[in-house]
Amino acid sequence: MTSPSFDTIVDGLSEVDCDVLVIGGGTAGPMAALKAKQKNPKAKVILLEKANVKRSGAISMGMDGLNNAVIPGYATPEQYTKEITIANDGIVDQKAVLKYARNCYGIIEELDSFGIRFQKNENGDFDVKKVHHIGTYVLPMPNGETVKKALYRQLRRAQMLISNRYMATRLLTGASGRIAGAIAVNTRTAEFLVIKAKAVILCMGAAGRLGLPTSGYMFGTYENAANSGDGYAMAYHAGAKLANLECFQINPLIKDYNGPACAYVAGPFGAYTANNEGKRFIECDYWSGQMMLEFFNELQSGKGPVFLKLNHLHSDTVGEIETILHTVERPTRGLFHEGRKTDYRKDMVEMHISEIGFCSGHSASGVYVDDFARTTIPGLYAAGDMASVPHNYMLGAFTNGAVAGEDAAEFALNHDFEAFDAADVKLEQARVLAPTKREDGIPPNQIEFKTRRLVNDYFQPPKVTRKFELGQARLAEVREDMENTMVVKNAHELMRSLEATSILDCAEMAAHASLYRTESRWGLYHLRTDYPEKDNENWFCHTLLSKQDGRMTSEKKAVEDYVVPVADEEKDLYAKQRIRASA
Amino acid sequence: MSDVFESYTDLDDLKEQLASPDPGERRVAIIELGDLGDPAAVPLLAALLDDHSAEVRLQVARALENYDGFAAAEALAKALVDPDAEVAAAAAWSAAELKDPASAEPLFPLVTHADAFVRAAALRALKELRRRDSLSLALPALQDAEPEVRVQAVGVIGFLKLEESVPALRAATGDANADVRRAAVSALAFSHTAPAGETIRSALKDSDWAVREIAADTLGKSASGAQASADLIALLADEFWQVRLKATRSLGKLKVVAAATPIAAGLKHEQANLRKESAFALGEIADVNSIPALEAVLDDSDPEVRKNARWALTQIAQAASRPAE
Amino acid sequence: MPFAQSPSAVPVIVDDAKCIAEKGCRVCIDVCPLDVLRLSDLTGKAYMAYDECWYCMPCEADCPTGAVKVNIPYLLK
Repeated sequence: MTSPSFDTIVDGLSEVDCDVLVIGGGTAGPMAALKAKQKNPKAKVILLEKANVKRSGAISMGMDGLNNAVIPGYATPEQYTKEITIANDGIVDQKAVLKYARNCYGIIEELDSFGIRFQKNENGDFDVKKVHHIGTYVLPMPNGETVKKALYRQLRRAQMLISNRYMATRLLTGASGRIAGAIAVNTRTAEFLVIKAKAVILCMGAAGRLGLPTSGYMFGTYENAANSGDGYAMAYHAGAKLANLECFQINPLIKDYNGPACAYVAGPFGAYTANNEGKRFIECDYWSGQMMLEFFNELQSGKGPVFLKLNHLHSDTVGEIETILHTVERPTRGLFHEGRKTDYRKDMVEMHISEIGFCSGHSASGVYVDDFARTTIPGLYAAGDMASVPHNYMLGAFTNGAVAGEDAAEFALNHDFEAFDAADVKLEQARVLAPTKREDGIPPNQIEFKTRRLVNDYFQPPKVTRKFELGQARLAEVREDMENTMVVKNAHELMRSLEATSILDCAEMAAHASLYRTESRWGLYHLRTDYPEKDNENWFCHTLLSKQDGRMTSEKKAVEDYVVPVADEEKDLYAKQRIRASA
Repeated sequence: MSDVFESYTDLDDLKEQLASPDPGERRVAIIELGDLGDPAAVPLLAALLDDHSAEVRLQVARALENYDGFAAAEALAKALVDPDAEVAAAAAWSAAELKDPASAEPLFPLVTHADAFVRAAALRALKELRRRDSLSLALPALQDAEPEVRVQAVGVIGFLKLEESVPALRAATGDANADVRRAAVSALAFSHTAPAGETIRSALKDSDWAVREIAADTLGKSASGAQASADLIALLADEFWQVRLKATRSLGKLKVVAAATPIAAGLKHEQANLRKESAFALGEIADVNSIPALEAVLDDSDPEVRKNARWALTQIAQAASRPAE
Repeated sequence: MPFAQSPSAVPVIVDDAKCIAEKGCRVCIDVCPLDVLRLSDLTGKAYMAYDECWYCMPCEADCPTGAVKVNIPYLLK
């Protein structure tokens, strides 16, 4: 399998077919594949992964806790749905959120049976931590580093067809517009694989390599750096609609390390985000753009910088928190603090806000899906960080991945293969391989760096119309270079060149969607200085971006009627709580 | 063309490599066996627990984490008593992954093994399996010389939630070791009987702050919490703010009106966390006499304190407008 | 345009004395999400071929012999 001629470009094309193709083996993907197989054990299910399912995706090293666990006795699905609605300024199709909230406890139990270790009390019950009185619920996972191993074990036991190191580049659709399959390229040999499929589920993660980290290190991202927005780009080029892309992902992170401080894990232990005076300043109860705006304002004020504060806690308590934070999710946090001689017991940990990205897991931008995880293309599904169900986090990826898997298996039972034009494959091969045919030009790392640097310069909120227009013009120049002069020398670089095209696509979508919505909403995520007010009269709606006749287009879509009504006073409760202290 | 799919290797292909004279090559084959997902791999792995190389045995102990059931547990039981400490440690980790109740039998004899590490690991694994017949093994383990073994024994008993084990758990709350006492107090939470409640109450006076903290927390969730209100109020003067915080939280949940005044004192504490929980608890209790103290913190420097004070005042107003029953 | 070589210190270090890649082990190379580890033609051992690291740790955590060490990339250290 591993030849000494690693990364040498090889000419090749093979074709396979299946009932259900799952693209992306991180969190939602393995669950979707397992559920599709469970729903119809006779179905041929393929799980395709750009890296290796053993350790791919956002939870490569596990997760230190669930922060949106809706567990009977602690929270109700209706209450959760209300809170997510409020956190998203009302722009929510509630059915999918409610379905998540109702299904997620069953998924927790199933994950527990897989061997994923949630914190339990001495009676063996899940040890749920309530963070605050109207907020969500945390279930710690002190040994959460085992998540991917446990998932992999399930896939192997199910004899799943797993295809590693194949990067999907484009979806195939038929004349009727129905999904027909996907084209993929091997990241080590550049050989092509055409997968005919009756149903396809996209689980390709966030667009986490969109902005450039302030460290300048291109792979020092919050999201797994492999999550370069390929799913967003593929869905776009296939004609699917993408929702609310102007609602960026921006996170409060450990400065430079650019990883999560996990205040929500440390929170139940008594830790919190503080300003330079060691005092709490966040008024907002929800992880939302509003919270990020408060964070941004504090950084800009004389009271910054902002820190994670644990040094008021008992040494034993800090020890417990350290054990979690330094073994799970981003375990190199411990090494990073050690290098800077930061001791949680004495020092506060400096934080900052991240570069932008797309990720419904934390905000609301994603490929539009309904409560069955169906996109606007028949037979095409999406789940996890790239699908539009807001504030999914890890548990949402598992839960909605399960929904997608089951529905896709059903779809595949009722449909035959859709025919596609063989010329599409030829065209895609030519597009992918174009940079390999050049002798000279710009390497993908420079194309990518420039794209992302421009994203920071022009698209990082607060958003200014003129800056966005300038940014679009600069990106158009980069696109021209990318399409005409990008050059790669081996298969590994070819993967990076394909990622660079996804990143540029996402950057253009971010700009287009942001300019379309002429109001401010979602706190910092869509703060437009020249349209500073929220405009419910004209903009209480989703925006859907899609490719129509080859052009990027945006349209409005009404918010579906709520299934869980939110009273006006409840919406206000949130605003009222934000009254500043008079002192 | 490269292989498109991960292979589900034929076991026979690996057998030759497993017999390689090179321990490194044997390790590589074991890694593949671990990934295989086929229970037929277990006997092959088990056989290599007699390998003379500790590194090879270590690899086996790790690979076994992917397997469940009697045969896997039998192999892990053997690895747990391996003379090499690293092999035994890996086996302990893998054994904690067992979920199939049928995995229990091979572990039973290890509960009385001469090595305390083995006894603790066996009990830790048995905990998740929730087998009723592990109770008779866990009960004597409460007298073990090693605290970690006693902690794990409490876990096995606590996970089973059997009323008959309440006397043993009560006794364990008098253990010499604070970790054992803490576990025992928490384990008693399932029982709603008076003796269990009394025992948790007496733990409010434990010499260790972490035990007092867990006792205060547990009482808030327990049926016998109301009888403990006087003791919980006494804890509002605890030297550890962490303990005061849990006592405050539980008194709020239990809506103990008599606690309102001492809880209000917590609104002036330097720890913002305690001020916040005090305000919240006063809202749950909803006593009109708390109004002045709450109004005094509407300007607190901490937004959480302000928010909770506002919320509490709303609760009090609502309670006051409701007709008395 | 000719290409320049710009050196960078890589964050992932493999201890050749412990690495058993020459015996067929591919664990670290397999698990890397960014696919930056390769086999050296010279030594038969694993090494970091591309400085594109997310400092995520599976290579270190899953290495059967403890040969791999992940450091924080210099730019953000």
